[in-house]
Amino acid sequence: MASTALGKIRRASHDWDRTRVANIFLQFGLIWAFVLLLIASAIAYPGLLRFANIRNLISQGAPVGIVAAGMTFVIIGGGFDFSVGSIVALAAVVFANRADPVGLWAAAAIVLLCSLVCGVINGVIVTRLKVNPFVATLGTGSMFGGAAYIFSNNAPQLSNDPNFQYLGSKAWFSWPIASWILIVILLGGGFVLARTVYGRSIYAIGGNNEASRLSGLRVDLLRGSTYVISALCAGFGGLILASRLGLGQADMGGTMSLDAIAIVVIGGTSLLGGEGKMWRTAVGLLILSTLTNLFDSLAVATSYQLVVKGAIVVAAVALDLFARSRRT
Amino acid sequence: MIAEVANRPPATPGASGWAIDASDIEVRFGATVALKRVNVQTEPGTIHALVGENGAGKSTFLGVIAGRVVPSGGRVRIFGEPHEFGRPRSAKRLGVTAIYQELTIVPALSAQANVFLGQELALRGLLSESAMRNRFDSLREQLGVAIAPDAVAGRLSVADQQMLEIMRCIQSDARLLLFDEPTTALALPERDALFRIMRQLRDKGATMMFVSHNLEEVLDVADTVTVFRDGGVAAAAPRSQWDKASLVHAMIGHEIDDNGPGPKPRRVRGAAPLIAARGIVVPGAIEGVDIEVHAGEIVGIGGLVGSGRSSLLRSLAGLEPTSRGELIVQGVGAEWPRTPRDALRLGIAMVPENRKTQGLVLGMSSTDNIAMTNYRRVSKAGVLSPQAMESAARRVAKEFGFDERRIATPMRNLSGGNQQKVLLGKWSFRSPVVLLIDEPTRGIDIGAKEEIMATLQRVADSGLGIVMVSSELQEVVAISHRVIVLSEGRAVANLNADEKPIGVQDILAFAFGLN
Repeated sequence: MASTALGKIRRASHDWDRTRVANIFLQFGLIWAFVLLLIASAIAYPGLLRFANIRNLISQGAPVGIVAAGMTFVIIGGGFDFSVGSIVALAAVVFANRADPVGLWAAAAIVLLCSLVCGVINGVIVTRLKVNPFVATLGTGSMFGGAAYIFSNNAPQLSNDPNFQYLGSKAWFSWPIASWILIVILLGGGFVLARTVYGRSIYAIGGNNEASRLSGLRVDLLRGSTYVISALCAGFGGLILASRLGLGQADMGGTMSLDAIAIVVIGGTSLLGGEGKMWRTAVGLLILSTLTNLFDSLAVATSYQLVVKGAIVVAAVALDLFARSRRT
Repeated sequence: MIAEVANRPPATPGASGWAIDASDIEVRFGATVALKRVNVQTEPGTIHALVGENGAGKSTFLGVIAGRVVPSGGRVRIFGEPHEFGRPRSAKRLGVTAIYQELTIVPALSAQANVFLGQELALRGLLSESAMRNRFDSLREQLGVAIAPDAVAGRLSVADQQMLEIMRCIQSDARLLLFDEPTTALALPERDALFRIMRQLRDKGATMMFVSHNLEEVLDVADTVTVFRDGGVAAAAPRSQWDKASLVHAMIGHEIDDNGPGPKPRRVRGAAPLIAARGIVVPGAIEGVDIEVHAGEIVGIGGLVGSGRSSLLRSLAGLEPTSRGELIVQGVGAEWPRTPRDALRLGIAMVPENRKTQGLVLGMSSTDNIAMTNYRRVSKAGVLSPQAMESAARRVAKEFGFDERRIATPMRNLSGGNQQKVLLGKWSFRSPVVLLIDEPTRGIDIGAKEEIMATLQRVADSGLGIVMVSSELQEVVAISHRVIVLSEGRAVANLNADEKPIGVQDILAFAFGLN
């Protein structure tokens, strides 16, 4: 008697528990993946966990991490931004070129203004002209990248200001300033996404644009704003990168777009939009940085690293789609 | 008596064996059992209806036969041949074709190209347009439809798109046609045409199985009816042994009062209208319609599909940017809404027709879905308050009869009935002056329908104005205080229940122009 009653209660809560356990595993499986990677890497490269190495790793990852934080907004909103690499390069050359004539602060302001303009251009093309975001940002990426070459006359831009490298190489509380900035941006972005009306609206438009429009959200403005956020983050990332390297060069964008997208999707944020978290981007950054660090320490050539990185992005997206097909 | 028939299959198969012989079918989705040891047999050359409440398992069963859902146990024979599960192609080889709720039309292709999709007529590898055109014309004649072969499929009405699918089925020489809710998007004359075609196909030897929520059409067209309940077969019997009451009884296990519309609640407040719109024009759809809605009033819009019912609602909701008209909201003249935001600002909210594509963010919880129509109510300085969101969701859940414990569940894991309740609650959370509702009960079971009808009356009683469009005219007459009948974009009648009870036949008489 008692056992059947218990059985009934169990059955009632049963499928809920099962899906909850599965969800927790799916959500946090990523952490396990990272821990495993860390252990494996530490075995292959004992220097990995040394304080100096970690500090170096994080300050190296700061620019791309900031870019990825902005990318997270775009991707959750159901979009895609392939132009960030070029914005990074443009920002770096403009910053290095303007630092001496107008001063560091004004140069930084000019950089952010340029980035803002880039973001608005992307947003307008995607929301007003309704160009597919992939094509739109591939195109604008080429435009911005070209602008960086034109502006820099194809030559490295240098600054003589001794404080030019302050952001990129100095430390506060024996921790690189760049990584403090990264942490603030990740936490701030995470808060905006998780707790504000703006953030929740981004999830909504990424999940179902039409339902959001009918609910009274300003869908075009919201969508466009994600490109502005992404561009501003890219500009900021470029500024820090230039400061870290002590110069600005038009080819600095390089694989930045791919890396930023890789970080977001490795973290498990879906390219289909409407889902994702800022902490996932942070973990994605850790994973990618650890991998890069491991490869560098094992002296794997950059060309091989490219192959592996590309494969990881494709695998992460395929895994996401596979998990989805199982869920429904 | 019917319940006894249930547990054993009808005694003898037809001389040629069963068209469908499914035994011990079991389907699990994760921990949920969708079908438990289901046995269903269908005689060749008959129309077999599957009925049941939402979640009873009827659509899942249809999916198994179509080869789209892979069961975890059991076997199916189609015309004696074993069915390879999960392979729509091999199902097709056995002569099985399915027409789903979500239509499988390629919108950018022409009507003709859609019919011959995957089965193009070709001569030595080159498409033979003239052969296809001839065949298309003869199919059109056979079915009595008037779709231009070059029409872009995506611009056709849902009913016409469905006709294209049926033409495709016939062209593919399917022996077994499966329909999932074939009539939800169709108006009466189109339904009649579909049933005529189904009977025609049956007389030519085709076997059909269909899922429907509409018991009248089930009784009208089916030869055999199987009732599903809780993932199992509750009863199966030939049509002659069923009537509406026994079907409902088998579906839900108890009788419901089906003596037509219940008594109307009286209109609450009569003074000035909440909104008054005059001379509404939607190019190509509506020509000069007036509508007034008072507080506490439910106004039904009657008419056939294509009469402009939905366009009327959409124009008021700001979804028809090219529409125009004069609008007075609570006594004050207002700009004609051009975007949903404009309309919402005026207090006009619309609950859209399609909850999955237009209404809900399926990956989000009901709490999030409800909050998004009115973030201002659950946030401070742009920061959301989880407590305010939760209590708002609980309040809405209580009001619309949705289980409070599931407010955090992603929408995609809820049943259609529950999704529909959240959908209605979502736009009411905006606290509009007038709520426009397009098809409030599409594709949900009887129990949920009645709850929603009752909720709408309660919402109106609280002082809101409601304008409702539904293909289920019985629902319209059951709760509307007034019904505006549209025909070809014009209002042809304005029926008032205070003067004389409105009947379905009244609406149809005006819609068909019999008066």
